[in-house]
Amino acid sequence: MTFTSNDITILLLSMAVMLFVARGMGELMRLIKQPLVIGEILAGIILGPTLLGFVFPDLFNGLFNKSQSSEIILQGITTISVVMLLLVSGIEVDLGIVIKQGKKALWISIMGILFPFTLGFLMAWSFPQYLGNTSGELHLVFALFVGTALSITALPVVARTLMDLNLFKTEIGYLIIASAMVNDLIGWIIFSLILGMMGSASHSLEFGSTLTLIFAFIFIIFFVGRRLFNYAIPFIQKRFSYPGGILNFVLILGFLSAAFTEYIGVHAIFGAFIIGIAIGDSVHLRENTREIIQQFVTNIFAPLFFVSIGLRINFVSNFDLGIVLIFLVLAFAGKIIGCGLGAYFGKMKTEESLIIAFGMNSRGAMEIVLATLALQVNLINEKVFVAIVIMALVTSISSAPLMDIFVRRIARKTQFRNLLRPELILFGELSNREQIIAALSQIIERKLSLSMDSISSKMIEREQSFPSGIANYLAIPHIHMKVREPVLAIYISSKGADFMATDGLPSKAIFLLVTPENDNELHLKILAEIVRKFQDLNNAETITRAKETIELINMLRESNVY
Amino acid sequence: MDAPFKKLALAVTFSPTSRALLREAARLKDLFNAELLLIHVGERTTEIETRMIEMLQSIELSLPNVNLEWGLGDPAQVINSVCIKNKIDLLIAGALEKEGLITYFTGSIARKLMRNPPCSLLVLVSPKDSTKVYNKICAGVSFGPECPDTINKTFRFAHFEHTKEITLIREFQVPGHSIAVYDGVSSNETQSNRNRWIKEEEDKMRVFLAEHNLNTGIKINLVALYGRSGWEAKNYVQQLNADLFVTPAPPKKLKLVDRLFQHDNEFIFESLPCSLLMIKGN
Repeated sequence: MTFTSNDITILLLSMAVMLFVARGMGELMRLIKQPLVIGEILAGIILGPTLLGFVFPDLFNGLFNKSQSSEIILQGITTISVVMLLLVSGIEVDLGIVIKQGKKALWISIMGILFPFTLGFLMAWSFPQYLGNTSGELHLVFALFVGTALSITALPVVARTLMDLNLFKTEIGYLIIASAMVNDLIGWIIFSLILGMMGSASHSLEFGSTLTLIFAFIFIIFFVGRRLFNYAIPFIQKRFSYPGGILNFVLILGFLSAAFTEYIGVHAIFGAFIIGIAIGDSVHLRENTREIIQQFVTNIFAPLFFVSIGLRINFVSNFDLGIVLIFLVLAFAGKIIGCGLGAYFGKMKTEESLIIAFGMNSRGAMEIVLATLALQVNLINEKVFVAIVIMALVTSISSAPLMDIFVRRIARKTQFRNLLRPELILFGELSNREQIIAALSQIIERKLSLSMDSISSKMIEREQSFPSGIANYLAIPHIHMKVREPVLAIYISSKGADFMATDGLPSKAIFLLVTPENDNELHLKILAEIVRKFQDLNNAETITRAKETIELINMLRESNVY
Repeated sequence: MDAPFKKLALAVTFSPTSRALLREAARLKDLFNAELLLIHVGERTTEIETRMIEMLQSIELSLPNVNLEWGLGDPAQVINSVCIKNKIDLLIAGALEKEGLITYFTGSIARKLMRNPPCSLLVLVSPKDSTKVYNKICAGVSFGPECPDTINKTFRFAHFEHTKEITLIREFQVPGHSIAVYDGVSSNETQSNRNRWIKEEEDKMRVFLAEHNLNTGIKINLVALYGRSGWEAKNYVQQLNADLFVTPAPPKKLKLVDRLFQHDNEFIFESLPCSLLMIKGN
């Protein structure tokens, strides 16, 4: 088989069209704050038999003709893309973070796998016909696949959602990421074994030899490979051209490792994923190097892969509402109940548990990769494939808005701008420190139904050992108490009071802050935010001259953000 | 200002660094006006007792001024139990800067103590006979419940030591942050996030200092580092050529899995950047 000049022209043209439409749709999705992968899948649907093939069949056949050579190329692109996607997924798995997050992450990830897996497995085992397996072939493997397909969480979509919701640098964010990493790890190992059971990989070796080689491979990669990478990566980053050198190093190792596991009878994705974990574990792999590797895959291979999905399948003729609905119900129920319970067992609050559950529910690109591989080995038919792709898209689209409902509830209670309540702001002429604290304590008492004496006396006692005057007319008497959420009361004193500020100026803006016990970070975050508002003397003077509550709130919400 | 430690202990052997360790322990005993307990793990024989007395006399210490406990068994376990029994505040030990791969995984006595200290632990890296003054101290800031105690003891230690400079290091990392570029986030956005977070952490440290009334006469530097916790600080301390690095003790015993998938203190234990003071919370 040879490529004619015409074949090459059409191939290059079709790749350009795929990348162009994928980029266009991807950017559109970014505008409406949706995952990029949705745009890429839609690009495939637009260019594939579903739309272009239906409206302009000649154009479609001309561009994406189903010749033997084009099929081989498409197959090659899919294989390389899948290996690359799994390689970068592995790079981002940081087992140290998982171990550090401890029991909570373990609960969430175990329940987040166990529950949807069991639900999917039982459903596919008991009623395979409802999930599109009418022939009853490969009964066990199909049930295992459905269980796994419902279990894996898509890290890239989760990461983007966390960034959009400003949750990255929070305990919830850490937990979601760590749990999604464990999900990925277990899910891909199970799926590799399923593919092995399917006999998709070569059977050049006996099962016993394969098993021995898998363990030997993991052992060597984790105990020897990781150490070697720790020497090799800094050397390459320093001595070789950057980022070409390190990019090549990662890709060479990725392909070698993938080739090895494919050879020993486990799918290539397993090797790519495991070597990815070992490379990503190196402390020497710079953050921007990770980003470069991600971008390399994101902008070339991921769009080609996801667009090619739509080129192969007609999403209209293979749409089966029943199967789609069953997958959606199983996916939502499995992850939300599983992760929600996991978070709850990990002693998270209800709202936090729900944020985690909805965050972990997004399946995104990973489920589509999984379904593509299953389709390739005829484990599932086109209808199930379409249902899984739709499930992956719906769970990804719905993740951020559903999380946002509960994020807002928590943010309402903890963010500085939301702590500014008109009923907790006083203006007056008091110039005595104790009187001001008593006045502020009184309005907090009304809000929290706490004893005024307990706040007031503790504040005054603390004030005597640690005066809370800062500088630039600011004082922040503060205390930890048994409260569920932080409370902030403000007194603007026209005369000012002596809170023993470091610059000797009287304190005219007094912020009395009560925060929950054992939440030092939140406490410091709010304190730091108040201090930032008063860093500039002119800004501070303007704030202390406020005469009305709304005026003050607006000033504090607007002033001096980084 | 009170001394940070009142009851010190030192595990005594007859290794080449023993004398230097003993000298340092004696110096800290005087500095803090503290009690000093010497622990020897091994059989009690007349010969060893004589050698011990000779060693004490060589640095102008004598037994009435220090107490001596003998123990038999696994050295790390014996030292642990003696410290707990005697309510020791600070255990002093010597350690190699770096150990061989196998010893790192199996654990030397010093590493075993570091991974599960019975009390606060001062690890002296390759101690020498000459007196070392801790002029440059670095301390890790975690903002966790143990943080105020760690930083407070650091400042008290520095006060007694007449330290010239304290650098507070806040390390943080947002796991999965770089994955966001996969879904259309630009590198500029991720970089700007990191810069913003670094400023936030620096602000929090400033407030922390004010909050705990730690603005003393010692020069204080605040550094926020983005990256793997333990690893970033270790490198920074090394580059700064600091004399002492203070961190909170691990909240629970570090196990083999923590060495296999290193995080936090394990990065520091792998190769000590300088002498290490681990503060165990109350």
